[in-house]
Amino acid sequence: MHIMEGFLPTPWWQIWFAVSIPVILFGIHKLNRLVNEKREILPLLAVAGAFIFVLSSLKLPSINGSCSHPTGTGIAAIMFGPAISAVLGIIVLIYQALFLAHGGLMPLGANVFSMGIAGPVVAYLIYKAGMKANLNFYAVVFLATAFGDWATYVTTSVQLALAYPAGDVLTLAGFMSSFGKFAAIFAVTQVPLAIMEGAVSALLFKYVVNVKSDILVEMKVIEDKVVKKLKGISA
Amino acid sequence: MTNILDDYALMSPLRQQNNWLKLAIVLFGLLVGISSTSPVPSLFIALCMSFTTIALGKAPLKLYLKLLLAPVGFAVVGILIIAFFSGSGQELLSFKFLGYPLSVRKDGLELALLVLARSISGMCCLYFLALTTPMIELFALLKASRLPESFIELSMLIYRYIFVFLDMALSIRYAQTVRLGYSSFSRSLHSLGMLGSTLFIRSWEQGDKLFLAMNSRCYDGKMTLFEVHRPVGTPELLLTSAYFFLTLALLYLTKNASIV
Repeated sequence: MHIMEGFLPTPWWQIWFAVSIPVILFGIHKLNRLVNEKREILPLLAVAGAFIFVLSSLKLPSINGSCSHPTGTGIAAIMFGPAISAVLGIIVLIYQALFLAHGGLMPLGANVFSMGIAGPVVAYLIYKAGMKANLNFYAVVFLATAFGDWATYVTTSVQLALAYPAGDVLTLAGFMSSFGKFAAIFAVTQVPLAIMEGAVSALLFKYVVNVKSDILVEMKVIEDKVVKKLKGISA
Repeated sequence: MTNILDDYALMSPLRQQNNWLKLAIVLFGLLVGISSTSPVPSLFIALCMSFTTIALGKAPLKLYLKLLLAPVGFAVVGILIIAFFSGSGQELLSFKFLGYPLSVRKDGLELALLVLARSISGMCCLYFLALTTPMIELFALLKASRLPESFIELSMLIYRYIFVFLDMALSIRYAQTVRLGYSSFSRSLHSLGMLGSTLFIRSWEQGDKLFLAMNSRCYDGKMTLFEVHRPVGTPELLLTSAYFFLTLALLYLTKNASIV
């Protein structure tokens, strides 16, 4: 869930903006360089952005129909790296705030930090580590997107707990107790949802590898020999 | 053809108003709503924004209530946690749930109501913008705000692809449902994977084609938008100032007020 409009009190939404803006600027810088180098990458970038939007609007088979949803940022992080994912994240979040009143403009900084920065960074690190360890590509994609999704929700819980610690004054104990409660409530739906998102992303990459593996290789997402191995298995 | 809020915005009479004025009203509402320490100014903002959206913006009342209901449901879940777990004052209500003692305290309840009021006011502001200002108009604002060219270009492309995606997703999902693709849990997982990947690849291909078509028509990353100059009229200006003044007055008067 994105944090809603009006939910974050005054010092916190400014703080999260201050944290997120440098990352976004760096992301825009990287985006400029990538687009100047290879203009033909733009449609793919836009598709990844729209995919994040649709994935967080499409209802998944959920257990109790709560406010959780997949984030979809893991795929973008694997393909383009976390900095560009952050830019895609902020565009998508602005659209969701304006179209669906999902999230909001004031907590935008906090939402960008959880969904556009923390989640993708975790997904990217897991992906890189997994590929270095020579694990199965699909297993790595599964792990990266699932953990990226969880990282997003843990970050959201941290943000909420910082803003609303138990006992009104921000102490470590109050923060921890409040954090535990927010995280526990998210966990009910988010643990199965993240696993599902991981599975769907792995399936997605399977089709992409089958049909358009050349672009993945060109963008240095996976190496040529891995593609050959994967195609050998799946063919 | 009214699938998303943008379609209503295109038909709204408030579309003809100055975009900067609308944006200023929304940002003012958001800022005051979040900095109020009592629910009264927030609820006043919510009321004014709803009135403007429905009476002046001609948004259907039924749709508006339905739109508001969904996020309010989420907000209520969120504030329940705040109501139960924060605060240290006098206990208003306490009971045992599965052996855990749960209690609502005075300041916890106050905080929860305040947060609920802030959320509702924020949502009303956002819906005002969403239901009266089509995205196309906002792109012109983006251009004027001098953000990097590539950022705006990417935003516009994403905006276009959201519709490509939604159309395709709905028809694929319909086809899958008709073939009992969502009849059991494992099947829905499988169907969803297929839906996601087909969607991704198909939109990608369509995106490539669109890009090729645009490039062959001399597209160089700069889309020129037609911006209509709309001066702010006196009635709008008066109404907006009255609204600003009343809200600020309420904010000042309820500075130290307590409701519970």
